[in-house]
Amino acid sequence: MMNVPFVGLIGGLLVTIKTTFRKPVTAEYPVQKKRLSLADKYMGFPALTWDFEVEEPYCTGCMVCVRQCPTQCMSAKMKDNSAFSDGKSSRRKIIEQFEINLGRCILCGICVDVCNFDAIEMSHEHELSKYERNGNRVDLEQLIQMGSQYQRKVKWSPKQPEKNSGLPKTNKDKTKDVGN
Amino acid sequence: MSLMDVLKYFVICIGLFVSLSFVVLVLIYAERKSLARIQQRLGPTRVGFKGILQPVADALKLISKEDVLPSWADKGVYWVSPIVVFVPAFMVWATIPIAKDVVVSNLDLGLFYIVAISVLSVMGLVMAGWGSANKWAMMGGLRAAGQLVSYEIPFIMSVLTIAILAQSLNLGEIVYKQSVVSYVLIQPMAFFIFLTSGLAELGRTPFDIHHAESEVVGGPFVEYSGAHWSVFYLAEYLNTFTIAVLSVILFLGGWMWPTMPFSGSLHTLLSVVLFVFKTSCIVWLIFWIRGTFPRIRIDQLMSFGWKLLIPMSFINMMVTSAVLFYGLHLSVLSIISVAFLVFTIWVIKKNSGSKIDRNTVRVISAQELRRANTHDLINTDTA
Repeated sequence: MMNVPFVGLIGGLLVTIKTTFRKPVTAEYPVQKKRLSLADKYMGFPALTWDFEVEEPYCTGCMVCVRQCPTQCMSAKMKDNSAFSDGKSSRRKIIEQFEINLGRCILCGICVDVCNFDAIEMSHEHELSKYERNGNRVDLEQLIQMGSQYQRKVKWSPKQPEKNSGLPKTNKDKTKDVGN
Repeated sequence: MSLMDVLKYFVICIGLFVSLSFVVLVLIYAERKSLARIQQRLGPTRVGFKGILQPVADALKLISKEDVLPSWADKGVYWVSPIVVFVPAFMVWATIPIAKDVVVSNLDLGLFYIVAISVLSVMGLVMAGWGSANKWAMMGGLRAAGQLVSYEIPFIMSVLTIAILAQSLNLGEIVYKQSVVSYVLIQPMAFFIFLTSGLAELGRTPFDIHHAESEVVGGPFVEYSGAHWSVFYLAEYLNTFTIAVLSVILFLGGWMWPTMPFSGSLHTLLSVVLFVFKTSCIVWLIFWIRGTFPRIRIDQLMSFGWKLLIPMSFINMMVTSAVLFYGLHLSVLSIISVAFLVFTIWVIKKNSGSKIDRNTVRVISAQELRRANTHDLINTDTA
């Protein structure tokens, strides 16, 4: 094949004619229909996950993410969980206020790594252009909204029953708790 | 010549200019789109439906741009050279027919006129290079001169072959002679030479060394901007279209071959459609080649032109005249031409790289240099 004269030039022409009839790879970004879809493992801005079983956030306000954040972009405040005293939840403490300055966040994912309850996750949110300087400070409500949207999109929720489940503990578990 | 005649030719001239400018806009859009598709991109999509108004937007932008005059430039030469490049490209169209009798002036020496006029654009490129007072522009202008003058010879020889076959220099006559069989079947070698040297004449890839961005940063056009640059651009695309139309007229039988059915105005319409279709095929071939081949080096260009194309075109012309002189059947010529084409291609294949490299500057790798430095350079010199 290679000894046939001109095979290089003709071969080059054939390659380009093949690519001509392929689908273009260009995505027209701002156009909603023509952009690339995000991979499930895409790391956008952090968001709080939502426990759909007991209807409350996973976050207990333990502050570990706040302390580990390299840019100190978040702040959190915990409160007693009223659902716990009503016997509807196993979480004694729950988050009251949570604020992240996403303009400061560097998307390093350390908060996700250190979280004991998978309560904070890197969501798919990434388009946050704002006109105000501090327009990207998001509060608890927005964070939960971002998180639950993400959970619904990738069909994932924290699944470590002994650690993450917010369902009220059975008697057996409670005795174990007391024992500890 | 009465006043009416002057007015008539003025109107024809304006009409030709407007329609050719429109063709150039279409060509620019087509080139950007087809190049984009070759590279799996989309090309212009924003301005107008599927980016169809993009060339118009570009033209408006270019016209509204500032025309910069470099302080060292040779002012007169600098401003005149775009016109010197554009006018021949436009003048050629005085005698190119696009259908039977649809031509400004049906010259008997049409082919001669076209060849003579088209050479003039070299002058403009050299003037642009000189007038810019810029080393890249100067180098580019001289490269353009060398390249265009070298490739003019095989270009003319291949055209001459057709003139010998048709026994005429009138383009309408040449097309008429091809009503039975087109000259590409009789003279494929001449077609190959015509297209190759035509590409070199246009300065299109792979022969675009005179405005190679990576070597002479745009060649003669470095210093130009705005409207004057756009005139160069216009001339370039106009020449592309001219070469495509000429190759259809000279080799692919123009509007005559293959003969269209029906008669009367429907026949004329079909013929024009056929002509436009063939022209766009050739234009697309030129774009396709641009999207495929890398630029060749100047020494490769020169040796290809002088050592291969020029001898082959001379031999081809002589064989054609011999076949016609002894009254042999034209199929003999066809076979000989195919044999020449195969031989040319074989020579290209055989000489790719190795032989040409020997005559060029030897590139020494850093590793080699370091090795040479550790030993005594004088003792181990093997030159």
